[in-house]
Amino acid sequence: MSDDIDLDDAPDMAAAELALGILDGDERAVALRRVLAEPGFAQQVERWRQYLAQLFDLWPAMTAPAGVLERVEWTIDGPAAMDVPTPPNRRFFWPAVAGISSVAAAALLLFIVMRPIEYAPHAARPSAAPTTAIAAPTPTMLVASIAPVDKGAPVTAIYDPASGALRLTPAALADANRSAELWVIGGDGVPHSLGLLRQAGASTLAVTSANRARLAAGATLAVTLEPIGGSPNGLPTGPAVAKGALSQI
Amino acid sequence: MTDFPQATLQQASDARLKLVEALVRTGHEDRTAFRDLYALTSAKLFGICYRICGERQAAEDVLHDVYLTIWKRAGAYEPHRASPITWLATIARNRAIDWRRAQAVRRSTPIEGALPILDGAPLASETMVADEEAHRLHGCLDGLEDRQRGAIRTAFFDGVTYAELAERESVPLGTMKSWVRRGLAKLRECLER
Repeated sequence: MSDDIDLDDAPDMAAAELALGILDGDERAVALRRVLAEPGFAQQVERWRQYLAQLFDLWPAMTAPAGVLERVEWTIDGPAAMDVPTPPNRRFFWPAVAGISSVAAAALLLFIVMRPIEYAPHAARPSAAPTTAIAAPTPTMLVASIAPVDKGAPVTAIYDPASGALRLTPAALADANRSAELWVIGGDGVPHSLGLLRQAGASTLAVTSANRARLAAGATLAVTLEPIGGSPNGLPTGPAVAKGALSQI
Repeated sequence: MTDFPQATLQQASDARLKLVEALVRTGHEDRTAFRDLYALTSAKLFGICYRICGERQAAEDVLHDVYLTIWKRAGAYEPHRASPITWLATIARNRAIDWRRAQAVRRSTPIEGALPILDGAPLASETMVADEEAHRLHGCLDGLEDRQRGAIRTAFFDGVTYAELAERESVPLGTMKSWVRRGLAKLRECLER
């Protein structure tokens, strides 16, 4: 072919390129956002994953180093396991925050609408009084108001870096056939799963060490609807139903 | 190549059944099944992590993450939608690529010490529900120009980006994109025929 360099004529193969994993930087971020925004695009990516998966047959095996399974089991059983028990001295913390969370959420929402990208250190502070109601919070505690795309009450997320726990107020985002999965989208523009929200009641998620670094002021939290049990491939496959940005409180 | 293709296929099918069972039971938080699953699949998944990460320590860390993800997500595995190896290997490859993309280092040559990738279609497929289906992708890949097929295979097995591929082949970035996009379009046409 003589027109190799004429990229304008080359077909749009973004779904295949994403499944192949060949994209990086902005192109990858744009494609990942399309997965969140366009159900048809997400389906195409999934179909390409299935096609390309046949190549796994050709991949030679290699004995894994000793001790990995033990490390995995230690992590499962250890402090980073999914259900982090609330430390006794913080038991009073959540109800106190829940009381002010709607105020914080309202202030946040206003803040987010007015300043969608930049982060201003004190703009999220609802007022002096409710802040002091929190028993000596860690200075870097983060909050987000995750607002449904359509309508409904926002979900408030509070992240406590001291315990690594991410707490969310009750959400009614998923139906019986879907799981609501929470994602963090940081500077790399790539959604990383934080876990599944409970169908009813408040959720508490233990944040993995990799994700702890991603939970920072300005990062976006988004909820997508996934098959029961969560996305099968580690990336969003369903539509985003709620979004919000993290801010310090 | 073999005198007992039927026996080979039967073996492959038994192995897959065993894997499906281990994975489904892992989804019910059965720790013994999880250990079986690890014993059955860790070599395959480590091969994937090692080739893409290009270093042992990183590959080991990624493998740890991969099995943690498998433990948490196994409940979502649907046996009728994907073979267990496809499901597991996809997690391993995605995690390894995530790790690579998070590194600023660009690797312009293939890593040393990785075993060579097999050529052509396998006798029995671990990844497809029906073995005849597996030959379709390999057949369609054979229909591409050498440079298109080569670029797509390298992207898949080495987890490299357009920029890295272009550097390896010493062609402009736009040329590489054009090769791959045209190759993928042709592949789609063949697969969806």
